[in-house]
Order: sequence, then C-alpha cells, then structure tokens
Amino acid sequence: MKILIVDDFSTMRRIIKNLLRDLGFTNTVEADDGTTALPILQTGTIDFLVTDWNMPGMTGIELLRSVRADEKLKTIPVLMVTAEAKRDQIIAAAQAGVNGYVVKPFTAVALKEKIEKIFERIDAGK
Amino acid sequence: MSDSSKLRLGEFEAQVKDGAVDLINRIETGDFAGAIKVIQDLSEARHNNFYNEVGYLTRSLHDAIRDFKVDSVDQIVGQVEGASKITDATDRLNYVIDMTNSAANTTMDMVDSSVPVASQLQDQARDLRKDWGRLIQRDLTPAEFRELYKRIDVFLQTTDESATTLHANLNAILLEQGYQDLTGQVITRVTELIRDVEEKLVHLVAVAGRVDSISGMEHESEDAEIDDTKGHGPAINSDNNPEVLNSQDEVDDLLSSLGF
Repeated sequence: MKILIVDDFSTMRRIIKNLLRDLGFTNTVEADDGTTALPILQTGTIDFLVTDWNMPGMTGIELLRSVRADEKLKTIPVLMVTAEAKRDQIIAAAQAGVNGYVVKPFTAVALKEKIEKIFERIDAGK
Repeated sequence: MSDSSKLRLGEFEAQVKDGAVDLINRIETGDFAGAIKVIQDLSEARHNNFYNEVGYLTRSLHDAIRDFKVDSVDQIVGQVEGASKITDATDRLNYVIDMTNSAANTTMDMVDSSVPVASQLQDQARDLRKDWGRLIQRDLTPAEFRELYKRIDVFLQTTDESATTLHANLNAILLEQGYQDLTGQVITRVTELIRDVEEKLVHLVAVAGRVDSISGMEHESEDAEIDDTKGHGPAINSDNNPEVLNSQDEVDDLLSSLGF
C-alpha cells in the first residue's frame, strides 16, 4: 500500500506521515500541490491519496477532479484533510467523488476512523 | 472622521447652500456673469475640499505606517533601516512562518527520537514481566533466576537513561513553545498596523462618499464573489457563520445526509 500525501506545508505532511506510520502505513510519498502530485499519480504506483484543499498552483479539489477524470486513476481512494469547512465545499468534494473528508485541526482517532471506513467500503465493494 | 475634517465638510456644505441661494438670486435678477462666477467658485471649493481631505488622509496614513514598529522583535531580528514598513510587516510575518515552522519541526524531531525510547522500554518491561510472573509462580530454574537478576539490573539502568533522554526531549519540546510569545507579539503589532490602516481607509471612503453625494457622482458597487475552488483557509469566527461547519461531527452528518 503506497500512499501519496499532498499538502503545501511540510509540517502537516510530516504529521500525516507519522500518523499513517502509527497506523501501519510506512510506504508514503509526498507532494506540495496538485501540480507536483499528478505526475507522481500517473506513474501508477499510488494506491491511496491524502490531499489538502488550499494549495498554491493546483488545489486539492482540482486534483480530485483530475484524478476522477483520468481513466487510469479514477478508482484511487481520495481522503481530503483540510481546514476548508464550508458547507458548499464539502458538498462539492462529495460530488467530485471524495471518499472521506477530515477537517483540520484533526485528531489521530478521526484520521484512523476515516481511513478504516474507506478501506471497509472498498473491501465490501469487491 | 476627525473633527477638523468634519468642520471642513460642514463649511463646504454651508458654502454650497449659500452659493445655491446666491445663484438663484443672480439668475432671477439676470446677472448671468455673476451666476457663472458662483458656479466656478463652488466647483473650485469642491475640488479644494476634496484635495485637502485626500492630502490630510495621505499624511495620516503615511504617519500610521511610519509609526509602525515592533520593538521586541527588533532586538531579535535586528532593526530594519529605511525599508517601507509594509515590506517590514511582510518580513515580520515571514519571520512568524519561519519560527512556527522551526518549532513544529524541532518538536517533531523530539517526538521522533522519543518514540523508539518509549517502545524499547515497553518491550523490555513486557519481557521482564513475563519472567517476573514465572518467578512469582516459583517456575524459574536457579540459572534462569540468575539471568533474570542480571536483566533487571540492566533494565533499571536503561530505564534511568531512557527517562533522562525523555526528560530532556520533553524539556526541549517545552522550550520550543516559546515561539508563541514571540510570534504573538509580532502578530499583535501587525494587527495594530492593519487596524490603523483600515481606520484611515474607512475615513477615506467616508469622505469620498460625502464628496460623491455633494458632487453627484455615482459608482456601481461590485459584489466580490470568492471562488470556493481556491479555498478560504481555516474558518475564523465560524460560530457566527451558518455556512461553515464547526466540527468533524457536523461534516460527518452532512456527508451522511448526502448518502456517504
């Protein structure tokens, strides 16, 4: 299981990386916005995407839409971890096909719960 | 709005009223040259009033920006000479970003170096406890007992050393939180500058509004629509905004209402 963490703040990437490591996901790569994330995704080695919303260059919602529009990438589970908490934005993310939405500041428990829920759904759908 | 500018605007309005009466009188008496002179005087007064106000506001704004200074940080990052205070404020905010970034990274370094120490203690304690349990059950051979005896000595020494390391790491984490004081001071000063500048701008807008009402100019106001795609950043005062969700639970509720 290889996870791509996309956030423009290196400290936030590090926090998410450490939390994922505690959950047993040790294979992670990082990108600082959608523009740098897409080429990594297109290598076809990423199984799970964790992304922020508000980033310079390409935002998380644009990245999500690009992933869902790409025939090869569209099934990758996407978890948004973001400070964006407007009703319309959450609805937009849901419509764009997000698999989970965690608002910052978040707890290790919330992140764990969302990730587990995503995997449960994937396993149930198989 | 300052008292002096209120006075000036009051004078200007009085001048317009007087001029209007004078103008009608002159037109009624057929003194058209005099009437045009009144119109010219009024127009000039309008311009003078506006330019005086703009001049006054520009000076106030310049003073406010020039007065902007963060003494406590000057001692740390050094006095910036000659640079514009807005540029200076930007530098100071960048300093906040650097400070918080460094504090977050140092704290995480300390956590990264503490986690293995705690894990090692846990592993050793669990191992020992197993054999200790066997000792209580009188289930140990004399050779095993001698070995346990030595291991306990090693464990106590490791525990002492580990506690010292953890103690030092926790202290380092504590000290790193000092950034809050320094960045707090910088942000407070920058906030004051912004508030001051905003006050002057509101003043300028108020004066411009009065000048507009006197001169009969109209402006179309544009409603700024902020694009959700670009993001808004963390919600501040979200309690007052029904469009912003306050917790993960509310987000979960919304998503489940959408069939998630």
